[in-house]
Amino acid sequence: MSATTFGWLCLACPLVGTLVIAALYPKLASLPSQTAGWIATGAIFLAFLAALGALIKLQGLSPSHRETTSSLWSYAVTAGVNARMSILVDPLSVFMILVVSGVSTLIHLYSISYMDRDRGFGRYFSYLNFFVFSMLLLVLAGNFLLLIVGWAFVGAASYLLISFWYRRTTATRAGIKAFVINVVGDVGLVLGTFFIFNHTHTLEFLATFHAAPHVFSKGSGAITAGCILLLVGAFAKSAQIPLHTWLPDAMEGPTPVSSLIHAATMVTAGVYLIARMHPLFELAPAAQDTGAIVGALTLFIAGTIGLVATDIKRVIAYSTMSQIGYMIMGVSVGAYAAGLFHLMTHAFFKALLFMAAGSLIGAMGGEQSLNRMGGFRKAMPFTYASFLIGGLALSGIPPFSGFFSKDEILLVTVERGGWHWALYVIGYIGALFTALYTFRMIFRAFHGEPVTEARELMAGHQHHVDVPTNPATGEEEDTEVGFPGPAHTIAENAWPMRIAMGMLALGAIGLGLLQIPRTDFVIDHFLAPTFAGASGYTIHEHTAKLALGLSLGTLVGLAGIALAYRIWVLRPGTSAAAQSRLGLLYALFSNKWYFDEMIDGLIVRPAAAAGRFASSTFERVVIDATIVGGATALVGAGSTAVRALQNGLLRYYAALLAVGVAAVGLYFLVQS
Amino acid sequence: MPPLSYLIWLPALCGLLSAIVPVPRTQRTREHVIAGAIALAGSLVALGLAIWVIVGYRAGAGLSDVTDTKWIGALGIYYKLGVDGLNAALIGLTTLLFATAVLASNFRMRTERAPRARLYYFLFMLAESAVLGAFLAQDLALFVAFFDLMLIPFYLLIGIFGSGDRVRATLKLVIYTLVGSLLMLAAAIATGVLASQQHGTPITFALSSLQALPLSKGSQEWIFLFFAVAFLVKMPAFPLHGWMPDGYRAMPTEVVMVFSGVLSKVGAYGFLRIVLPLFPQAAVHFQTLMLIIALISILYGSIVAFTQTDARLIAGYSSIAQLGFITLGIFSLQLQGAQGALLGMVNHGLVVAPIFFIIALLAARAGGSEDIREMGGIAFRAPVLATIFLVVALATLAMPGSSNFAGEFLILLGVFESKRVIAIIAFAGVVMASVYALRLFIRTMHNRVSPTVKSRELGLGDGLVLAPLVAALLYLAFYPQGALHRSEGSVDSSLAGARAALVEPAVKPGAPSTLTTQQAAAEEEEAAAAQEAQESAR
Repeated sequence: MSATTFGWLCLACPLVGTLVIAALYPKLASLPSQTAGWIATGAIFLAFLAALGALIKLQGLSPSHRETTSSLWSYAVTAGVNARMSILVDPLSVFMILVVSGVSTLIHLYSISYMDRDRGFGRYFSYLNFFVFSMLLLVLAGNFLLLIVGWAFVGAASYLLISFWYRRTTATRAGIKAFVINVVGDVGLVLGTFFIFNHTHTLEFLATFHAAPHVFSKGSGAITAGCILLLVGAFAKSAQIPLHTWLPDAMEGPTPVSSLIHAATMVTAGVYLIARMHPLFELAPAAQDTGAIVGALTLFIAGTIGLVATDIKRVIAYSTMSQIGYMIMGVSVGAYAAGLFHLMTHAFFKALLFMAAGSLIGAMGGEQSLNRMGGFRKAMPFTYASFLIGGLALSGIPPFSGFFSKDEILLVTVERGGWHWALYVIGYIGALFTALYTFRMIFRAFHGEPVTEARELMAGHQHHVDVPTNPATGEEEDTEVGFPGPAHTIAENAWPMRIAMGMLALGAIGLGLLQIPRTDFVIDHFLAPTFAGASGYTIHEHTAKLALGLSLGTLVGLAGIALAYRIWVLRPGTSAAAQSRLGLLYALFSNKWYFDEMIDGLIVRPAAAAGRFASSTFERVVIDATIVGGATALVGAGSTAVRALQNGLLRYYAALLAVGVAAVGLYFLVQS
Repeated sequence: MPPLSYLIWLPALCGLLSAIVPVPRTQRTREHVIAGAIALAGSLVALGLAIWVIVGYRAGAGLSDVTDTKWIGALGIYYKLGVDGLNAALIGLTTLLFATAVLASNFRMRTERAPRARLYYFLFMLAESAVLGAFLAQDLALFVAFFDLMLIPFYLLIGIFGSGDRVRATLKLVIYTLVGSLLMLAAAIATGVLASQQHGTPITFALSSLQALPLSKGSQEWIFLFFAVAFLVKMPAFPLHGWMPDGYRAMPTEVVMVFSGVLSKVGAYGFLRIVLPLFPQAAVHFQTLMLIIALISILYGSIVAFTQTDARLIAGYSSIAQLGFITLGIFSLQLQGAQGALLGMVNHGLVVAPIFFIIALLAARAGGSEDIREMGGIAFRAPVLATIFLVVALATLAMPGSSNFAGEFLILLGVFESKRVIAIIAFAGVVMASVYALRLFIRTMHNRVSPTVKSRELGLGDGLVLAPLVAALLYLAFYPQGALHRSEGSVDSSLAGARAALVEPAVKPGAPSTLTTQQAAAEEEEAAAAQEAQESAR
């Protein structure tokens, strides 16, 4: 089998999984309780095996032939548009499908236990499989149209899972918000495609990249507009400023969903997009600069919000935004391999952090506020260890994986020269924030005086709430459908969760070994065929600079941890004092820089007001009264006539019509 | 291949049969069952015939299965029918929607008291015949005749079988459509007469003959406007949609299914079949005007749709927006845009009919109210209904992966190539579609359960009505090419005149049309060759 056959197989597995679960849906109740979960996990695992098959087949080809395409049927081939059902299997897409299917397998496994008591168990897994299918479609797509399809499917799957507990109005509102912002991104992607198609006259990636240098001059208006619009798509999906507001709200979904979709895979699609489109972005330096600046701004702003947020899932969500900021900045300045490497390590340690947080939330009986947590270190040693490993990797402490990936991005950034040094500085400030908010979570949730829930757990009882309430509103939950209710599973008690977290922890510890300076650079070499034409793609052998960067990164990370230790362990009053001293800043950060309010005031409210005006006033006054009312006299006269018709003439009229039509019809039947 | 006349008149004949078939006195209470069964059989056979015709139509074959008889010889009016890429998919849509609507009527009348069922089926089937006639007519006068015949049964269906303020609704509909019809009648007569005067030929209304007798630019312009008003009312487009809110609310569910699903397409189809080939210079002259009307329809329909609380009106105003996209595609005067518009017509029919049907199902679960404020949480005991509704809602908002998206993509690409700014503004409609479609879904299916709501699963009958529609939707989602490849040649020749006029407004339309098609073909060959060269170079 060829690499593309494995690619198609990889796509087919999760789709079949979704359909099988959907077909079994009515019978699920009579089957063993976890059937749907195991079907789904198996399907994703098969997809992972197919991805491995694609990898092996691809590595068997010579480096210059590692771009293979395959097309099944014509999707929309008309009027010069050539959209086929085609995939592109090359090192970049294989890299992505490996990460996606690998991490997804583990998160599916985790979910089997985590969602065990949930009444929507089957629905959950069919959605989750559909998500993986969409994500694989996104990264395997061989042309713009299919990319857009995968892009939108991923958004839809994300919507379905965010509002999974659909009786919660906060969840459905978060869902529609995520969906609509993602549609804004889709529009950017489609419009960007138009600008590019307009010149290249093809939707196929390889043909586009081949033609681009000939039809676009570097920095021309069309390519810059096209790439900036592609960036709009990337920003919306990857939660970059100002299209990020949906991501924190997306934490309404079940925690494994946050782990898979809103940390490890979907939100990194923007990074993939820029890397995939690098032949175009290299022709549009202005777009590259835009990406780099927005990435840097996002990593900074999200870091500041992460420092003050109190909901543990939201802290991790802002951390995700911030880390994706690094990746976006990286691939925008030409650090493709470094950005993608960070994508991979981040997928592992961030998924791990969310899983550990899910376990913690389970132990708290659904409570997510850091203010209520404390002292879980002894009560949940496994969860604590996982969280700590994830936290150290996130903070970039050696030898954990985040240590190797983040600093490489910053190094390439500063090498671009000029004003890029500012991004470099912001990158290190962001790293300080990262270590600070990460260990703020660790110290507040796991250290200090054990809270009631932690003491109960140490005594062997897991805390349950009698009446589950929505943590966001305090409203009593409607547990009739979908909501897990009082029972929560924690990692300490469930082996699938422990296996999944253990594997991710191993990745978070060891994956950095793939890119040890001067020794291997596995990722760089593997991805080289995809980026062969990229001007900035050099494999870094200048270890002196890299060593300096790595040690600087380590120092910043350690400083952040030390500062966190001082604030939240040594002198617990420091945080409150800082809050009152820096009141304005605190207000800015804790109100999330007022982005929600800005979008609400500038777009949502005016649109709603226009809609209300059109519905109530314009329709009535102009359309109805003026246009219809102009004929009021006619209406009056007509109504009398119709009433007469209805009363007596109707039968006569209908009969007449029938006879007439029948006569005409018969005539032509005879004639023809 | 059966003559197209069979396809057209069979439904009316069955309708007539169901109206006059003798029912024994003892079976009077079951009158509606017998009438319904006959109508259903007729609509299913019509569907079968339509599929036969579509499958038999070879892509790029031009007008096929032509029936051509003199009707009124002295006036040059022909009973001329024919199928080509423009109407093949639309007759499929028409027969499919009518068959499902008749099926739905059968099921509804089992549970409801159904007075005057015979009349109902007679009118319904007559309407099907008229719509099919309008799609298949290849003579201008015949088209006008079918177009007007199509409206009469609907006036009566709303006036007699409607609910709520049906008299007012009927009157509005009559006034609007009558004005449109009269304008169109005048314009059609003028077309024939002026063509014969200006060229000194005997009078004729056959479309193929008229196309060879182009009118002067001045005549084209006013005639264009008359036709445009008639078609835009039918769609409806802003600001000619005044009849729509009352009309859609008053219609019985099955009637609104076919009315919004099929009749609105006759207007859009009229632009492609009649206006663009016969009045190409006027189409170019008024291109911007039409694009702006379309654009306003998109934006206006969308913003009204997301503030409405009546579920039917959400669907109604969203149709204004979606028909706006279709108009936009046609008047991009680009092959991509018009191809997308034609695909969009089929897609819109396939989503709006199930939406209206689902709204009726939802209302049945929400204590009879069609107000979304009184719905909520219906998904709970109805996973299949929720899934189908979700698929339809996502297709309505033209999510990529649906055929609706393929259509919208082509439409916007066409507009992007001709009038870039309008395309960019139109994208706002894409975003707003996601708001109104998801809002409708969430407010009815999700959130807390309303006090009046009793959730229950789709019945078998309801499932049978929805299944063919959803199946068609999914088929096209995987393979939009299935609809696109048949229509390309016909759409191209429909646009040829206008595109020639775009390039060089001074030359006579009609004559250079073949030239441009040849040019386009040559260009395509060149592009294909270049691509091959590129690929071999790799």
